[in-house]
Amino acid sequence: MEDLRNKARELLAAKAVQVVVGYGRGTGASRRAVFIQSAAEAGELLFDNACRQNLAVYLMKPEVRKLGKMALVAIPATLRTILQLASENQIQDLELLALVPDASGAVTQLATFAAIEAHVVLQDNDLSAAEKGELQKYEIMGMEQRRQFWEEHFSRCLKCYACRAACPLCYCSRCTVECNQPQWIPVPAHDLGNLEWNIMRAMHLAGRCINCGDCSRACPVGIPLHLLNQKLISEVYTHFNSRSGMAAKADHAMSTFKPNDAEDFIR
Amino acid sequence: MARIGVFVCHCGENISATVDVKKVAEAASRIPGVAHSVEYKYMCSDPGQQMIRNAIREKNLTGVVVAACSPRMHEPTFRRACAEAGLNPFLCEMANIREHCSWVHEKSEATTHKAFDIVRTLVAKVKRNKALLPIKVPVTKTALVLGGGIAGIQASLDIANSGHKVILVEKEPSIGGHMSQLSETFPTLDCSQCILTPRMVEVAQHPNITLHSYSELESMDGFIGNFKVRIRKKARSLDEKLCTGCGLCVQKCPSKKISSEFDAGLGLRPAIYVPFPQAVPNKPVIDREHCTYYRTGKCRLCEKICPTQAIRFDQEDEIIEADIGAVVVATGFDIKHGDFFPEYGYGKYKDVIDGLQFERLASASGPTLGEIRRPSDGQVPQTVVFVACAGSRDPAKGIEYCSKICCMYTAKHAMLYKHKVHHGKPFVFYMDIRAGGKMYEEFVRRAMEEDGVQYIRSRVSRIYERGGKLVVKGADTLLGSRPLEIEADLVVLATAGVAQAGAEQLAQRLHVSFDAHKFYAEAHPKLRPVETNTAGIFLAGACQAPKDIPESVAQASGAAAKVAILFSQSELVREPLIAVVDRQAPPLYSSCVGCFLCQPSCPYQAIEKEEIRDRDGQLIKTIAKVNPGLCQGCGTCVALCRTKSIDIQGFSHEQVYAEVLALLNRGEDNV
Ligand SMILES: Cc1cc2nc3c(=O)[nH]c(=O)nc-3n(C[C@H](O)[C@H](O)[C@H](O)COP(=O)(O)OP(=O)(O)OC[C@H]3O[C@@H](n4cnc5c(N)ncnc54)[C@H](O)[C@@H]3O)c2cc1C
Ligand code: SF4
Ligand code: SF4
Ligand code: SF4
Repeated sequence: MEDLRNKARELLAAKAVQVVVGYGRGTGASRRAVFIQSAAEAGELLFDNACRQNLAVYLMKPEVRKLGKMALVAIPATLRTILQLASENQIQDLELLALVPDASGAVTQLATFAAIEAHVVLQDNDLSAAEKGELQKYEIMGMEQRRQFWEEHFSRCLKCYACRAACPLCYCSRCTVECNQPQWIPVPAHDLGNLEWNIMRAMHLAGRCINCGDCSRACPVGIPLHLLNQKLISEVYTHFNSRSGMAAKADHAMSTFKPNDAEDFIR
Repeated sequence: MARIGVFVCHCGENISATVDVKKVAEAASRIPGVAHSVEYKYMCSDPGQQMIRNAIREKNLTGVVVAACSPRMHEPTFRRACAEAGLNPFLCEMANIREHCSWVHEKSEATTHKAFDIVRTLVAKVKRNKALLPIKVPVTKTALVLGGGIAGIQASLDIANSGHKVILVEKEPSIGGHMSQLSETFPTLDCSQCILTPRMVEVAQHPNITLHSYSELESMDGFIGNFKVRIRKKARSLDEKLCTGCGLCVQKCPSKKISSEFDAGLGLRPAIYVPFPQAVPNKPVIDREHCTYYRTGKCRLCEKICPTQAIRFDQEDEIIEADIGAVVVATGFDIKHGDFFPEYGYGKYKDVIDGLQFERLASASGPTLGEIRRPSDGQVPQTVVFVACAGSRDPAKGIEYCSKICCMYTAKHAMLYKHKVHHGKPFVFYMDIRAGGKMYEEFVRRAMEEDGVQYIRSRVSRIYERGGKLVVKGADTLLGSRPLEIEADLVVLATAGVAQAGAEQLAQRLHVSFDAHKFYAEAHPKLRPVETNTAGIFLAGACQAPKDIPESVAQASGAAAKVAILFSQSELVREPLIAVVDRQAPPLYSSCVGCFLCQPSCPYQAIEKEEIRDRDGQLIKTIAKVNPGLCQGCGTCVALCRTKSIDIQGFSHEQVYAEVLALLNRGEDNV
């Protein structure tokens, strides 16, 4: 932890970055994002197992971006997000630093996309064993059961769009749900509108979601949104052998065609 | 407020026999926004069009729906009529109540209902149509012809003679293609070289034609009228300007035992060679794979002998860039080789040969100087079996199509054999004889009746060697499938015509489509046989399907005419039904977030980057931009864009959504 704080002090004092986005004390045992802009504040930084939020979400918030060059305390999903955002032309190389604390508290500083890529290939990017287990339980359900499962969950959706705000890849300046000419998704939080919204959200993340899980954590009514995303992640991986967030320049599963793509579903 | 005019057509009785057109027109008049609704016997007739023009002027219409046939049929007609009355043509839509309704249903209430539903959706759409202007793009008046076979030669000459520049690219050291390998040609038996060589020379001398032989297309970008190509001129190891074509090097080269491609493997050539004496250009090329110097570092005999010091051992491939307005693909075909027929011993027995090899045996310039001598021992074969459909029309071999030329050249081969070996016995094994074409049936009859070629309707099950003879086994299906065996000295397989080995890679470079057998796909099998689906790229010759010389030449002239039509204008006018990226008021500028996931999805490479800058030149945003010259309006990007920032003009989200809603929300405004 001291390592991290020192690193932040050093970077800010040398004006190498203008802001360090990291984790600080939240309510109870939780951790929340802090935006450290001077060496004096660096003591607020914390790092432990409770630090789970994907701070890369702030890369796409104009009010944070405005602060200047950013150093980002990064967990594995954060690094994948950075690469995914780079591949979607949203951030440029050298625009940010990633600070990766390891279990012992030592911090690795990654200054380029290339360095991040080299780091990411070494981490485990697959779904965890627990996630796979949960997904399997979902997959054994029949179609009708799945429909009921989601209808039940979505009936509680408030259309608060917290999932969207928490997702680092939901950065569009005008979300489809806000299009009203035509009005693709009905505004009220009724069953049809909720279903359409949630399906659209998931589909727009197909081949892009880097599996940080923040959508589910943000949802105030506990909808297991991550299940939809993880299902798509595993489909994209099995059919196209593609995983998002692995490289700063990447072919996206949903937008590229390769002559050797599996086409067994087109008849 | 919209003022839509609805014009319901009877199409004689084509529509009115099953649809109650009066009811449809009457119900349409009650749709909100419809200011005028009538029916008429023939809307496309002059009085019909006049009705539309008058209504536009008198009722001040803001949009028109013609409920009639398919827009494929008459959309241009009605759009023109609207334009004549001062209404932007893109404010006119057609409701197809013929192909989509009256022709496919019985007369009934429901049919009339459906016709009205179709009209209603189009009214909902046309209310949201916007006036559009045609798109203009410039045209570079230089054509690229790929492949210098007879098709490429003909296309090049025709385009050049119409006054335009041509760049002809041939991958082999000489132009001429398969025709240069043929002996005599059906159905007239004139000598192939004699009719081909003058055209090859004409190509070489034409002031409008630049020939790049031993070259291949490296890459191509751009769009109709505005292609950019890179051509790889492979190293000939020779300075073409200095070389006089004297041929001394060819005579003196010590490594002479290389199988000749031109003689289909039946003859030999040196490492520095000209494929055949009449080659154009008549300049040798060093085959680096077999050249002693490149193999061992020693020799350079040709360099010493060359009187003009033209040999360049260190020459490298050269890349030539050019701007092109249109492309004619004439890369031809090939025939099936190799171990495709283990049951026929092709590749195993020296005396089982293919059609091209027979052409070389029969050719006066071939390895036997035109005498039919079999490859194994140089003897004149007394019995020759010709096998038609070797591989063609054989789903088990993966080739279900007819190669079209084999029936004819097999008859020719049998005839040529008989003309040269008077006492010889030619047999032809065939499935059916397909001799459609001027003088073709007569030609085959002549082979049978005058030259005594014996035709046996049978497939060949096996060919094997027995006592120095090739035993051909079959079953005569005209004699109750009686099994039969012929002992032959030579067997000629008319192996299936197939696509060139590199056809698929070239198609990807050109972005043209191909069929399951890698033959290039025409835009329409009947009405657009020389166009591809990519605007500005045309097809000629056997690269589209196996075909004979007259057909290849006709298609080549057709393609050339298409190029000349394209080049007859300095600007191209295109329908503006293309994709556009939206623009919004600041601070959004555009709802496009510049993720550029659409870019790789576009099959036509039409999506570019556009920078939005403020008045000081500061970059505000980078967004996608659709190149109007390239976009074909396919809509792939539209489906992909998460923020719905791309719309197809004329088929916008708003329009299509309104159509769907109109169908779903069937209100009280019914028939
Ligand atoms: C055994 C046999 C006998 C025949 N006899 C007759 C006959 O008697 N009468 C008749 O009418 N027809 C006959 N034909 C058919 C005739 O050969 C074809 O109709 C004709 O050759 C087709 O011409 P083409 O220019 O389309 O193709 P090709 O002759 O195949 O020429 C294609 C050219 O393109 C070049 N090329 C290929 N790929 C590329 C590339 N990527 N870049 C640049 N260049 C490329 C090739 O090197 C070649 O020069 C016969 C065919 C065979 C096989
Ligand atoms: S969808 Fe959920 S898990 Fe995926 S990137 Fe967005 S917030 Fe993270
Ligand atoms: S170097 Fe020798 S082998 Fe090679 S082309 Fe010249 S003469 Fe022939
Ligand atoms: S509509 Fe089709 S051709 Fe046009 S830009 Fe979009 S994907 Fe490309």
